[in-house]
Order: sequence, then C-alpha cells, then structure tokens
Amino acid sequence: MKAHIKMTGELHAAMLKDLTRRHPFARERVGFVFGRLCSLSDGGRLVLLTRYHSIPDDQYVKDHTVGARIGSTAMTWAMQAVYHGRLAREGIFHIHLHGHRGETGMSATDGREIPRLIPGFQSVGRDAGHGIIILSLDHGCGWVWVPESTEPAHVDCISVIGSPIGVFERRRTE
Amino acid sequence: MSKDRYSRQSFLGANSEELISRCTVGVPGLGGGGSHIVQQLAHIGFQRYVLYDYDVVEESNLNRLVGANLTDALAETPKLHLAKKMIYGLQPKASILGIPFKWQDKPEPLRECQIVLGCVDSYKTREELEIICRRYLMHYIDIGMDVHGKDKPVIGGQIIQSSPGGPCMRCMGFLTDEKLAAEAALYGNAGHRPQVIWPNGVLASTAVGLAVDLVTNWTGRSRTHAYLAYDGNEGTVRESLTLRNLAIKECPHFPLHEVGDPVLVEL
Repeated sequence: MKAHIKMTGELHAAMLKDLTRRHPFARERVGFVFGRLCSLSDGGRLVLLTRYHSIPDDQYVKDHTVGARIGSTAMTWAMQAVYHGRLAREGIFHIHLHGHRGETGMSATDGREIPRLIPGFQSVGRDAGHGIIILSLDHGCGWVWVPESTEPAHVDCISVIGSPIGVFERRRTE
Repeated sequence: MSKDRYSRQSFLGANSEELISRCTVGVPGLGGGGSHIVQQLAHIGFQRYVLYDYDVVEESNLNRLVGANLTDALAETPKLHLAKKMIYGLQPKASILGIPFKWQDKPEPLRECQIVLGCVDSYKTREELEIICRRYLMHYIDIGMDVHGKDKPVIGGQIIQSSPGGPCMRCMGFLTDEKLAAEAALYGNAGHRPQVIWPNGVLASTAVGLAVDLVTNWTGRSRTHAYLAYDGNEGTVRESLTLRNLAIKECPHFPLHEVGDPVLVEL
C-alpha cells in the first residue's frame, strides 16, 4: 500500500522549532501531531496533518535508558484527543526529531518502544489512521497504521507544502 | 545524459535538478494554456505528472495548441496524447498519469501532487480546483485570459498562486459571488472565449516561473501567494492592484484544519 503524508510548511516549521528546544533533563523532545486519512488512487492512503501538540516539560519522566519518555498525563491527553476527534476520523502521530541531515529511520529503541502506543490509539479512534513520524533536520520518515491493521505501512513520501516545497522520499528498504 | 543538460539553469540551486525531479505536478486541462505549461515543465526537468484532458484536437485549436499540427486535427488526436509525446520526447523516464476524464470525475490521483497548475475556462472550475487544492494540501497556480470589447479589443489575464495558509482567490478579490453568478446565468450560452497563443504563452511562462520558485526558492522570496495581472495590449505583467491593497493576513475561507474528506461532526 502506497502511503503519503502531507503538511503545510508552517506546521513543519513549528514542529521543528519545538522539537529542537532543549528539555531540562530529557535528551530529546517528542510531540503529537494529528492527521486525517483519505484515499489515493490504486488503494493508496494520504494522511493530511492538521495540528501539532507540544508536550509540556513537566509531562516527561526521567528515564536514562531512552532519549525521552513521556508520562501518563501526556498519554491520557493524547488518548482523549483521539477520542474527541473520532467523528472527524482524526488520528494521532507520535513525532520526534533525529538531529542530523538526510534520511532517517527508527532506532532500535524507537522500534521497541513507540509502536506499543498504537493499539491504545486504535482502541479509542478505530476509524482513524495513527502512526509514527521521525523528522531529521531536512528529511523525514513515517509509519501509518490504517484502521483495523496490526502492521504499519511505511510512508513512501512526506510532502511539506510550503515555500520551498519539501519532498522527503523513502529510499531505505528496511 | 550529459551534465551539460541543465548547466544553463544552475542558478536555480545546486540541488535544483533533484528537487524538480521529485515534485509531482498536476495539470488539469491541456488546451491553449496547459500545452504550453507541460512543454516548459518538461524542458525544465519535471519528471512526475498527473494530467487530465478528455478532448481531442480540432482545427479550431490549431491557432494556439502547442505541439498540434494539421494531421492531429484530421486524426482527432487526444490532447493527452500530445502532452505525453511532448514530455516523453524530453524526459523519457518521466512518470505520467494521464487521465482522459474531467478531473472532477477522478480526483484521487490529483491529491498526490505538490503543485497544480490550472488552465481552465470557468470561474466555477477554478473555484473547485482551489477547493481541492486547499483540502488536500497543494499549491494552486491559476492562469486565464480573456478579450473584452469588439471595436477596440483589450486582452487581459491573470496568474495567481493560492497556497495553503495564504490568501485564496476570494481573499485576493479574483473570485467573487457576482462573477460566479454571472457565469452561472450564462450557463449553456457562454460561447467560446477568445484565445490566442501569445497571451497564453506569457501566462504559462509566468506560472511555470512561480512553480519553479516554489520548488527551488531560487529568488529567496518564499512566496505565500501571488496575483499578477497581464495587460495584453501593453504587454505587461504587474502585481495586481487588488493584491497591493490587500490587508488580510489569514484566509477566512479555508481554515487550515479543514482538510481531507468532508466529515459530519456533532454540534
């Protein structure tokens, strides 16, 4: 299944600005971005990102085994937001930044930790697409779980519709 | 392919060739304006196209349809075929999704584009194109020309960039309820609008220039919108007076959260 994510340049800039801020103790920041799923031709899926939620500093918990860990308050907020957005079929994407240039991917820790959040989101927003986005300073990658799926689809392309336009294509095959 | 191919446009940026090749452009309508546009996009290096046209070449098109000749009119060659031939002749590896319908009948492929260049005749279709571009996050660049008056004809036209988050064609004063109502009142009786090749060429070239700037930002202007008015009698393209006086900062017609398929929500 072909998957494509689009966002405005304004939203992309806002997310980069937030995610590059230093946190008092976490080594990196995470956030949530909301997206609406719609169809492309040939069974492909398009996710249109709408708004970003920055996680307040005090909702992180100390855990030196990972770059950042958020606590139950942040997770409860996210679950509620998905629940309230279910009529608009608005899903939620966990997003964080790898602070380098070029294509990026999931680290071993990302792959172990973040996908575990998805079933919870699916349980409160079953008609929406949820997923994970990892940005680099000038690229990005993503995974989307369409409704009723247990496995994610790799996002083939992330488009930033700004000036200039950004087209982040997946070249890695893992 | 030799490295010389794009050497004359290297001022667009060191990685401009790659940026241009990754961008998907949509062109609904491959007539007088669209045929110019696809030709230029192919010369510049665009590789990915979503094209719509259901029409065939007729003799009355030959005054302005780039790439068409007498044989095409006799054979009733589809305009889509002409556009593909033009692109493949310059970019043999291009990916072209050619759709022989009105774009409204099969809109899904258009959603993949980053830029849509609209070369359509009516205000209503322009409005519909702008709506789909806002809902599925695409830059929309519109061109159009008209000729007013018979004794002393005046050629006018416009090139408009409407981008998500920026002012729309209503904000910029181009689309109005009055224009749409007047057009609707002429339904079925509008006749053919006058069209000639050179204004279409000016409008298409300017639109392609805006598209290339959106992809490469070679001017460094990071445009959020544009409304350029063409005076075909004077031979000038200038920023529209309406736009110069525009005070609006945020588009009230297309809120940024109103994207994707329309849904019913609880009140």
